[in-house]
Amino acid sequence: MSLVDSVQNEAVRNDCEDQVVLVLPNKPEYVSVARLAASGIASRMGFDVETVEDIKLALAEACTNAIKHGCCEEYNEYTIEFGIGQKCLTISIADRGCGIDKKKICQPDLQNPREGGLGIFIINTLMDQVDFETAPDAGFTITMKKYLGV
Amino acid sequence: MKLKGEIDIYTAAEFKKQLNTAIDEGRGDLHLDCSELQYMDSTGLGVLIGALKRMKEQDRNIYLANLKPNVRKLFSITGLDKIFILEV
Repeated sequence: MSLVDSVQNEAVRNDCEDQVVLVLPNKPEYVSVARLAASGIASRMGFDVETVEDIKLALAEACTNAIKHGCCEEYNEYTIEFGIGQKCLTISIADRGCGIDKKKICQPDLQNPREGGLGIFIINTLMDQVDFETAPDAGFTITMKKYLGV
Repeated sequence: MKLKGEIDIYTAAEFKKQLNTAIDEGRGDLHLDCSELQYMDSTGLGVLIGALKRMKEQDRNIYLANLKPNVRKLFSITGLDKIFILEV
């Protein structure tokens, strides 16, 4: 099963009506493309301006994670799949990395702030539901959901 | 110093370079005008945290002014609004 098949199946399981799939090179200059796509899709679904900004930020954090930790010479791209439902936007970001240790996700330490490690915390804070999946030989997938009218 | 546009994984390195130059060449506190900063994510926050650490070692501080609501929210959800001085 390819990376794209894998994320598309995830969308089907979530009963999404439409799917938009982006395969991006692991180059920082393309993260803005992902943000633009998220902005267009979320606006069209009817999310308010503040929520659209939240969704853009959460997706960008996941893309940054995929570029920094999820790509290698052999697999130099990652996949973003938008599952568009009546009341829910599901975004899955799949890379070939080994993922993250959930136990290490914690509140930022304000006494000793670090220069990294805020991304997953931000995603968890801004989205309604976030799941992490690490599959042997298939990489790491973050799936995040935002519900309309919540 | 005036911040413009978007600070993300693509632009963070350039932001860091310019911020370090401003720290090295300036004296006293650093004032960043964010009125034209449309977007920032954790990569930008990371650069700012690094800069603040350098500044604190020299007993200097960083002030951020005129943040747009989306950028201000990034500081509030991470608690970093308690570490940086955010002006109206």
